[in-house]
Amino acid sequence: MRLSNLSFRYGRRDPWVLSGVRLAFDPGDVVEVVGPNGTGKSTLLRLLAGLLRPVKGAIEERPGTVGYAPERFPADQPFTVAAYLRHMADIRRVNPARIGEWTERLGMDHLLGRRLPELSKGSAHKVGLVQALVCEPGLLILDEPFAGLDAATRAELPRIIGEVSARGGIVVVSDHQGGLRTFPAIRRHEVRDGSVRDLPAEAVSAHAPVSGAATPTDTPTHDAPPAEAATRHAPAAEVAAGNAPADDAGDSAPVTVLEVAVAAPKAAELADRLRAEGHAVRVTREAAR
Amino acid sequence: MIALVRFRIAGYVRSHRALQPLIGLLPLLAILYAAPVPAGQEIGATADSAGILIPVFAWAARGLLDSEPDEQRMISITAAGRREIISGILAVYAFDLGLAAIAEAALLARLSSGPSPVVLLTGVCLHFLAVTAGVALGALTSRPILPSPAVSSLVLIFGYLAMLLLSASGARWLTVPVLTWMKDGHHGVLLDNLPGLAAWSLLWPVVGLAAYAWLRRTRP
Repeated sequence: MRLSNLSFRYGRRDPWVLSGVRLAFDPGDVVEVVGPNGTGKSTLLRLLAGLLRPVKGAIEERPGTVGYAPERFPADQPFTVAAYLRHMADIRRVNPARIGEWTERLGMDHLLGRRLPELSKGSAHKVGLVQALVCEPGLLILDEPFAGLDAATRAELPRIIGEVSARGGIVVVSDHQGGLRTFPAIRRHEVRDGSVRDLPAEAVSAHAPVSGAATPTDTPTHDAPPAEAATRHAPAAEVAAGNAPADDAGDSAPVTVLEVAVAAPKAAELADRLRAEGHAVRVTREAAR
Repeated sequence: MIALVRFRIAGYVRSHRALQPLIGLLPLLAILYAAPVPAGQEIGATADSAGILIPVFAWAARGLLDSEPDEQRMISITAAGRREIISGILAVYAFDLGLAAIAEAALLARLSSGPSPVVLLTGVCLHFLAVTAGVALGALTSRPILPSPAVSSLVLIFGYLAMLLLSASGARWLTVPVLTWMKDGHHGVLLDNLPGLAAWSLLWPVVGLAAYAWLRRTRP
């Protein structure tokens, strides 16, 4: 897929959101789009998905099957999860049996009978992911896919992205959560001031906001100063959430040592959870009383 | 595409927003048919019904197209491509034809004499033309085209009023000739003029729907 000199603005009197963008994606590419809020990341994703038309330039050779998971899943719809996903499978002409595979994998079988408006943000987000994945997309667009997800799904999502890539699909992700920071062979592009530029891999760790790694569902207590954590390239919440378990990172992966301060009654539970996820945990200082 | 049509109608009906057009339809039918339709006035009555129900059809069309959240519409576009627009129009047509069938049934039930095939076919034809006009008006006032609910509602109401006023004026060729349906129906000349009127009545809604499809290219 190629973006040839692509420019976009929402109206004739509006400023250009993107200008003269040239990008090329090969089958199997996994691309992370980064940049400050409001710079045009979601606009770029919508252009890639074919939802917006370039004002100038063109997007060529877009894969035929596009999966799109928006930043906010539209949960205000009068369906149960099962009924909604069945409708989506019918629209995609996909065997409805495939829905079960994905709901099981994302740990949401128990939600199938629930009505969409009753879902929590994270659960609704999973429905958005399933509808995008069920069609085996040749182009998978994920807008902030890690937001609100539980630890298990945060750990599973990079594997799923890897599988789409291995099948030859192109995956484009906008992510402020740092969920793909350890993903191998990922390409990163920064959207800023209307242009899109390549980022070297090592630049991204410092780029992703440390506070953004924490989510309401999986935030352990951590007192590490942001600057220090950024220098070490791994915020506490990300490791606690199991985003980079040892078996994924491989034996030769570099190890980051984090200091995590946690309320005394929760320390044992947190340590057990981290150990269960494959991290080495050592208690260095216990509460004085 | 049929699956997407089914999904959109199911979403509209399950959300109970489908009841809103009935608030307009049922009182209008009650007023129109408070007294039985006298013999010889059947064609005029069916023309009145078709002309008066256009805003109800437009309201239902706009409501159905707007019932799904914007992000869901984008998901549907990635799933179905540009067929999403056609599926929306088909869903609206199907729902509006259901409303038209209710109106037709009410009319037939209040005829003093038994309905002749000519009355029946004229009613179907005029209500189809009214539905087409309503679908076009509703689509052009839907959220992707007019994001402000207030502006959209006003354009729908004044669009219908403009249709009535223009069709009563010398410039009636500029719009759907709603008042000409009614006038010809009550003067007994509608059947003679129907082929020409039908073509004329379809012209502007087809232009409107083409404009809707063209505008939607840049308004997902």
